[in-house]
Amino acid sequence: MNEQNSTVMSKVERYYKDYGIRARELKKEGKTVISYLCSLVPMEIITAAGLVPFRIRGNVNEPITKGDTNLETIACPFIRSCFDLSVKGWYDFCDGIVIPHGCDSMTRPYSTWRYTLGLPYSHFINVPHTVSGPSMEFFTEELNTFRKSLGRFAQKEIADSDLIEAIDLYNENRDKAKALYDLRKSDPPLISGTEMSKILTVGMSLPVTEANELFAEVLEELTQRKEAPVHKAPRIMVDGACIDNIDFVKLIEDSGANVVVDSLCIGTRDYLPHTDVGGDPLDALAHRYLDKINCPRTYREKAEGAYEKDLTARFGDIGSLGKEFKVDGVILYVYKYCDPFGFEVPARKAYLDSLNIPVLYLEDEYSAGIIGRLRTRIQAFLEMIE
Amino acid sequence: MAEEEKKQERKKRRTATEAASSIGAMVKAAIGGTVKAKEEGKKLAYSFIVCSYDEIIRAMDVVPVWTENYAGVCGAKRDAERFLERAESQSFSRSLCTYALCGLGFDQWREELGEMPPDAPWGGQARPDFMLSSGQILCDPRNKWYQAAQQYMPDVPIYDVGLPYPLYEDDIEVADVQDYYIKYIVAELRGLVKFLEEQTGKKMDYDRLSELVDLGERTWNLIWETYELRRAVPTPMGTGDAMNTMVPMVFMMGTQEAYDFYLDLNKELKDKIARKEGVVEDEKYRLLWGGGLPSWFALTDFNYFNSKGAVFPVETTYRMIEPIYRLNMPDTNDPIERLAWRWLGYWTYWYDKAKKRPGSEPDVERLIQYIEDYQIDGVVMHEAFSCRTWHLGLIWQLNQLRKIYKPIPVLILGQDGKKGEEKRELPSLILESDIIDISTYSEVDTRNRIDAFIETLEQVRKNKADRR
Amino acid sequence: MSDYFAGIDIGSTMTKVVIMNDGIISSIIGPTGPEQRRLANRVMENALNQAGLPFDAITYLVATGYGRINVPFADKQVTEISCHAKGVAHLFPECKTIIDIGGQDSKGITIDHGRPTDFVMNDKCAAGTGRFLEVIAEALEITIEACGGMALKSKEPAQISNICTVFAEQEVVARLAEGVPLNDLVAGILESLASRISRMVKRLKVANEVVITGGGAKNAGLVKALSDKLGYATLVPPEPLITGAVGAALLGKDIVQKATKNSLPLERKKRSLEEIEIL
Ligand code: SF4
Ligand code: SF4
Repeated sequence: MNEQNSTVMSKVERYYKDYGIRARELKKEGKTVISYLCSLVPMEIITAAGLVPFRIRGNVNEPITKGDTNLETIACPFIRSCFDLSVKGWYDFCDGIVIPHGCDSMTRPYSTWRYTLGLPYSHFINVPHTVSGPSMEFFTEELNTFRKSLGRFAQKEIADSDLIEAIDLYNENRDKAKALYDLRKSDPPLISGTEMSKILTVGMSLPVTEANELFAEVLEELTQRKEAPVHKAPRIMVDGACIDNIDFVKLIEDSGANVVVDSLCIGTRDYLPHTDVGGDPLDALAHRYLDKINCPRTYREKAEGAYEKDLTARFGDIGSLGKEFKVDGVILYVYKYCDPFGFEVPARKAYLDSLNIPVLYLEDEYSAGIIGRLRTRIQAFLEMIE
Repeated sequence: MAEEEKKQERKKRRTATEAASSIGAMVKAAIGGTVKAKEEGKKLAYSFIVCSYDEIIRAMDVVPVWTENYAGVCGAKRDAERFLERAESQSFSRSLCTYALCGLGFDQWREELGEMPPDAPWGGQARPDFMLSSGQILCDPRNKWYQAAQQYMPDVPIYDVGLPYPLYEDDIEVADVQDYYIKYIVAELRGLVKFLEEQTGKKMDYDRLSELVDLGERTWNLIWETYELRRAVPTPMGTGDAMNTMVPMVFMMGTQEAYDFYLDLNKELKDKIARKEGVVEDEKYRLLWGGGLPSWFALTDFNYFNSKGAVFPVETTYRMIEPIYRLNMPDTNDPIERLAWRWLGYWTYWYDKAKKRPGSEPDVERLIQYIEDYQIDGVVMHEAFSCRTWHLGLIWQLNQLRKIYKPIPVLILGQDGKKGEEKRELPSLILESDIIDISTYSEVDTRNRIDAFIETLEQVRKNKADRR
Repeated sequence: MSDYFAGIDIGSTMTKVVIMNDGIISSIIGPTGPEQRRLANRVMENALNQAGLPFDAITYLVATGYGRINVPFADKQVTEISCHAKGVAHLFPECKTIIDIGGQDSKGITIDHGRPTDFVMNDKCAAGTGRFLEVIAEALEITIEACGGMALKSKEPAQISNICTVFAEQEVVARLAEGVPLNDLVAGILESLASRISRMVKRLKVANEVVITGGGAKNAGLVKALSDKLGYATLVPPEPLITGAVGAALLGKDIVQKATKNSLPLERKKRSLEEIEIL
């Protein structure tokens, strides 16, 4: 692998290992950092306010300890880890936190987060569960409430022009992410799944301008790559929710497969959809975050009463990614206590079955220490589809 | 479990009130009623409690099938395991809401057989004509459960009602956002009416709806007044009974039957108070059930508390009403709007109060109010592993309560991270199990914890006496 | 010269070695031991002795099982899922479903012509594995071997409500004190275990024939309870512990034949039985 002698990849590595290092530096320089959970917080609004958005990440290598004294262990383990790191001070450079109504594990303990961290700013964004005219109108209003509230905190009126500028920057970021994904279409892919996970995760910890620069550098270097960093091997797609550590993807790749695409929050679910331009920026953001981000927490029923047709509305994107990236199998990876995904497992499996794509469903905790026990299942799955 | 006790359990659990003991038959009749209604060609709707659409479906003569209720019944009869196992065999994780899992297991089985599963508790849960999800901030399964059930009943349509309410924030008043909340909720409820009209081929009779909403509001007030009677010392009714008397509140809102039930209960409680008849003869400790759904298969734990002289005059669980006249509802004759305001008013009821106490928060404020109003000696909560909705945030609420509420001189024996005994003036206990998954329950363990808790209460009382 | 193929299946408690040419010529089962590779070595050595072969005579050696990764003299590692599928299909050509109940894990595999088509596994919770039985047997002060027979004598198996091993242990001890007959308790425990396993396996499309392997297959009471819960008749191989090793050896044979046919080079490890350093 030419990763070692690459300066940009070692930068990615550093940012990944010491997650938040740039935000910390920026804070020292006098910037204000706003942390957030989940893919449903419009980073564009934070950026437009002149603040630095920073996505809170968990860490599978850090045992959850302190957090458990204030948050029940029946929350999803990813959220528990995020909370644990936050109360341990890993993200003490943040001035505020924004939590959206993603799922119960995120929503119900909002007060717990707010009071325990005691940050100068906190805000909850109420994301509706359905996609309809009234819900879109509601969500636009709700985003406007956020815009005003954050504006008060930042002492800056967030103008439409600020939003439009931020939207452009993020769309650029998504173009670059798409270009990175395209590098995975060849067989073997020009970028390993592990590398990709690192890059995408790191992107969430940087101001968008810096993320854009970094992605550009990575792209330039990778397109120069003469040789693929990995061998030809079964092409796997990972489907699931909040995977923000490389350990799982690495385990798959160490077991003799290439992860070539995903349907994950820190992945295509968040990185691919663009915000529409040309119209009202807030409307466009509402549309992106409610409708375009295809997360099971949002109920989509396109064809009333026709369950079969709905399957395409719900999972069609997974199917087409699978086709586009020529995957040999899908690994559906869901955390214990994850309600939005947990209730969909049989339907997702049935959908992939109907496309004749083999699927392996794994339920896991959020801990590097025990992830190894999945190895046999993954290897057996690879032996099965070979 | 001793054989002796086992027999007792099969017998009826002892309740303090007549009203509570009449509930079992009521629920049984309701569930049997749905099967019968189906045969009579009525439209059946899978429905969620606390959904704000009770009066709407009643006015449309749609028969609600409360899926949470049926799961609870299976749990109470200790017969949920086989349905949970079915769901698990379908690849649903056992960590998900067990009501939902029980329901999904049941549905899958019924659909596979084309008839009720063998020996289905109380005749089984009837197949719906449509399902009313409740896409709200309240709980994920309310969105996902029926969608998952559709896999087994692909022909049964769903209407998902969006019902948000704002969370408590420092820098935002409910008044700042209520207009667009109400607008959205009203649109969703009107959408529901349209959906029901299409499904039933009937038009909504808005006069009737207005009457039912009226009746609902009167019922809310009546329940509140009735429950407040439990402030009396000794208290005439405990949480164990309230887990029964909640039935008309959450399953029959907007019916005369519900209203009449609480009239009877009201009278019964007043009579008891006049006779100074309490839940227990010698009331020693007054406890607040401060959060968590009960373990339906272990309601006798309340009797166990009673046997130690401890009673629960009040609970936050299933007290899904506030006095209507205190909800800041604007004047409107539109029944749909009234339902929307009632919804918003209920969920934001404690916000103003919380604003007045530094460091407070609505849920904590509610605990404080109950502690004072009902002269509470200790708080008990239950953490049911499978439901995040009602069980995330409880630990923190207790911690916050200790921080901001007055009678808490804390004495900690043992230091340096060593687990010491904490003597508080307001001891608390968190039980851990589940709503219907009995495999997570240990009677020995639970009762040991209760014993220890009672000892703590005794100790606190002694300390107080000593100081005097 | 005849080719010999070896399969070594290193489980959490037992190591199984099978040497085959056309049929099985030697098979040995020995403890894995805490230092698994060293003892695995010894089991291998015993098997070679039994077959009267020098290690060099082994054409190809496939390792499988929980400890497969650390076998330096194995030419290839294959998961126990594929190996069980292969091994069981060899013994029962009509088999469609395998249930393997091991000491630390249990699994279900559906197969088609000796290849797995789907599988499920439980290894995070002791309650669905042989470990559960071990704990309970210890609490009841009986041997695991005795369990099966005792359960078959029970007319009214006790209801065990707790799934969690720790709780179940408490429950069983309490019930014993209450005077519930031991046979009924044991039967109840086996039913509870069978129900755990059965609902995991039911995630698969179970079909006839169903074959049970692993240590659990030696427990007649458990096999019966499992058949009842599943609603399928079940078969048990004469030596249910070695199917993984048999499959491993057979997979090795396939690999060699394929390589020979396509004149591809075979990668083979050094046949050395020296002491191996523990990492
Ligand atoms: S993993 Fe699931 S439960 Fe956890 S935060 Fe994500 S969506 Fe919510
Ligand atoms: S509130 Fe809790 S118990 Fe009720 S449906 Fe939601 S998750 Fe299940």
